[in-house]
Amino acid sequence: MAETERESEPRELAAEARNRVRFEEEALELADQVYRVARRLVSSREEAEDLVQEAYSRAFRSWQSYTPGTNMRAWLLRILTNLNIDRGRRLQRQPEPQPLEEGDYFLYNRMEQATGGGTDVERIDDRLSQDDIVGALSAVPHDFRDVIVLVDIGDFTYADAAQILDIPIGTVMSRLHRGRRILKRELAEKVGEP
Amino acid sequence: MGGFGECSCDHCEEVMQPYLDRELTPEEHAEAEAHLAGCAYCGKRYRFEAELRVYVKTACREEMSPELKAKLVALRLPEA
Repeated sequence: MAETERESEPRELAAEARNRVRFEEEALELADQVYRVARRLVSSREEAEDLVQEAYSRAFRSWQSYTPGTNMRAWLLRILTNLNIDRGRRLQRQPEPQPLEEGDYFLYNRMEQATGGGTDVERIDDRLSQDDIVGALSAVPHDFRDVIVLVDIGDFTYADAAQILDIPIGTVMSRLHRGRRILKRELAEKVGEP
Repeated sequence: MGGFGECSCDHCEEVMQPYLDRELTPEEHAEAEAHLAGCAYCGKRYRFEAELRVYVKTACREEMSPELKAKLVALRLPEA
């Protein structure tokens, strides 16, 4: 073996170790944001915690497949959503969402009716509690909810959401639109409740 | 035709999502703004939608526990 090759090996290993440490630190800094998204993709805190741990464990093992300079938060979420989908979501087939007649103004119109018109409909928190919102979101079928969670809670762009979920951007847009309507229909039911 | 003429609130409802997601072309956006400025009916509904999104985001926010954070740190690969 050539002398130079043997000498350069430890140096390369040291550089790789440094890159790995940098990767791990950057990934850990994003953990709070990753968790917030994960929490709403699944229905319980325990599930979210398991999922995040599993995703980080996988990310740390496959750190070399991350391309430095690209969106690491999207990369982590892609691992996480894939794990989530693999974890038996295929077993529990989602029923097709019912046909949706309501338009985008539906919830507003409903709240206006409920307040007898005139009153300040814009004060949403008077009418809907935090639990109402969380409950309504969790009632949205998975495929639609994933997109709402990524875009509206995770602040991902349509393009990032498309990449994370491995679906065309047009599908992101249509699911988002439909999903928000479903969410509003769920919320409208809660407005009607005492 | 299909634009924001007078009494085109159906169209306005259609473009609410792309408007709030900033996915309209600059021309479409300007057209929507012009309509909203003169239409209280749509203006109220757009404001409501924008506030609803903020409220959903706030209401759904749940922070990770310090225990989980510690577990993630422990998952780091051992030093080579």
